[in-house]
Amino acid sequence: MVESCISNKIYSYKHECKWPNSEAADVHNIIVRKSRSKGFLVFFSALLILANVILLFLIKDKSIAVVFWSFIWDVLIVKLLLRKPVEKESVVVMPALGVQLETHYVSGKIIRRFVPIDKILKPVLLECVTPVTCYWSLSLIIQEEAELMLVFKELRPPVKMLVPIWKALCAATGSEGSLNTFTDDGPCC
Amino acid sequence: MVSDFFYPNFGGVENHIYLLSQCLIKLGHKVVVLTHAYGNRSGVRYMTGGLKVYYVPWKPFLMQNTLPTFYGTLPIIRTILIREQISLVHGHQAFSTLCHEALMHARTMGYKVVFTDHSLYGFADVGSIHMNKDCHQKRLVYRKGADLLVEVIPEVCRMYPNVRFIVGGDGPKRVRLEEMREKHSLQDRVEMLGAVPHAQVRSVLISGHIFLNSSLTEAFCIAILEAASCGLLTVSTRVGGVPEVLPDDMIVLAEPDPTDMVQAIKKAISILPMIDPQDMHNRMKKLYDWHDVAKRTEIVYDRALKCSNQSLLERLSRYLACGAWAGKLFCLVMIIDFLLWRLLQLWKPAEDIEVVPDIVLSHDEDRGISQDFQAFNKDHSLR
Repeated sequence: MVESCISNKIYSYKHECKWPNSEAADVHNIIVRKSRSKGFLVFFSALLILANVILLFLIKDKSIAVVFWSFIWDVLIVKLLLRKPVEKESVVVMPALGVQLETHYVSGKIIRRFVPIDKILKPVLLECVTPVTCYWSLSLIIQEEAELMLVFKELRPPVKMLVPIWKALCAATGSEGSLNTFTDDGPCC
Repeated sequence: MVSDFFYPNFGGVENHIYLLSQCLIKLGHKVVVLTHAYGNRSGVRYMTGGLKVYYVPWKPFLMQNTLPTFYGTLPIIRTILIREQISLVHGHQAFSTLCHEALMHARTMGYKVVFTDHSLYGFADVGSIHMNKDCHQKRLVYRKGADLLVEVIPEVCRMYPNVRFIVGGDGPKRVRLEEMREKHSLQDRVEMLGAVPHAQVRSVLISGHIFLNSSLTEAFCIAILEAASCGLLTVSTRVGGVPEVLPDDMIVLAEPDPTDMVQAIKKAISILPMIDPQDMHNRMKKLYDWHDVAKRTEIVYDRALKCSNQSLLERLSRYLACGAWAGKLFCLVMIIDFLLWRLLQLWKPAEDIEVVPDIVLSHDEDRGISQDFQAFNKDHSLR
């Protein structure tokens, strides 16, 4: 049963309740939407490069090896840019047991990670800053682990999709939803 | 606020940005600070009052300055300005490359900007460039005239047997002061405290009667303000902005020359009995106040916001007037910046950059702050 759905250009979020009459499991899915325009652009540019090289071969008598290498190069570029192995990432919240984090690939491969409920100290929403951009990420603070565990390893869904998942995780782990998310760093004056 | 210089670095610029931001927050503004990462301190941090600081992971390459790439910081600055819904960018310190790049990109994107120079440049004085070196507050370095002290202290100790010196601070020139102490056997007359934490500066100051400032360059000098607030009579070199800081009866000025300084100290000692520390403190309290600085800065912001929007062509014509070759170079730089900005708008449109929900301070402000996702959720929950 689909309880709610949010979508944008790249991702769509679906919240399902398995076995709605009991509170056995809550599934939050972030699904990657297929983009046609990007694929078209990549193929077109690859075709353009190939056509250019063939023209060079025919008119300026360049060796066939150039055409061959250019073709290989084109295939590699297309494979790299159109590589979208991740189909969706899911968070299955089982209140008494734990949280299962799943990554579903287009090839059919599924990677699952299970975290027992008592190992989760707190789910946190953090802003990550890179040299070129800034984005939100949802992580779990795990007992006896120095590093945070990212809930979504491959995808970067927007914060409006992360908030309901964060709330569900807070409810399941019993942490307070909105307090003390950040610590105070003041100068010593 | 954009600058390479911010906490955990300590200094005049850093304190200025922090205290001004706090006062502006109290006046109801939203303030976000942008600086480069310091070691492990990278990403978003929150300070007192909900002051959000972005430590952008661009490595500093020289004296805490980020590597000037001209256009490298455009994507991250654009993202931050859009997600935080910034209306005005305030850059600090002429030495800061991050500040200048941010101001350039902000102007390209149509934001209003304000620039505060904390150095002695003034845009007209080339000579002072040689003297300006990066230092810490109360630092024993060339710029702070430690070499002057080495000449002055033994002379004053010789003239006045009951004068003692307390030297607070640390730096490369500390060794020279130690050597002077050894040479003239002044261990019982000159006390070296080493680095003094800011919280203890007051207790060190009140143990003295005269504050000696021997800086060779100084744009403003908050140290003499602190000394005057503690009721000390100040003796200082007549450099930079120092003569404008204190009223004439609270300071004795001298040229940055040992003989002149000794004369000034002599004069200060003679007028010391007439000084009332409490009265001095009361006067200083009324003269300088960060809230007053914030209100004046607000007036500058209002004026900047009222400036008309300039199109690219209008701005280019202003750059062209900068010089025969320089003008054309500046125009080229700005045109490339503009084109890169347009490209970024196509690659990542502004609608795709999420706006950050506003911070709501919880009732127990000591315990931390909360982010009100309830309000955020109402606007963006279902489609």
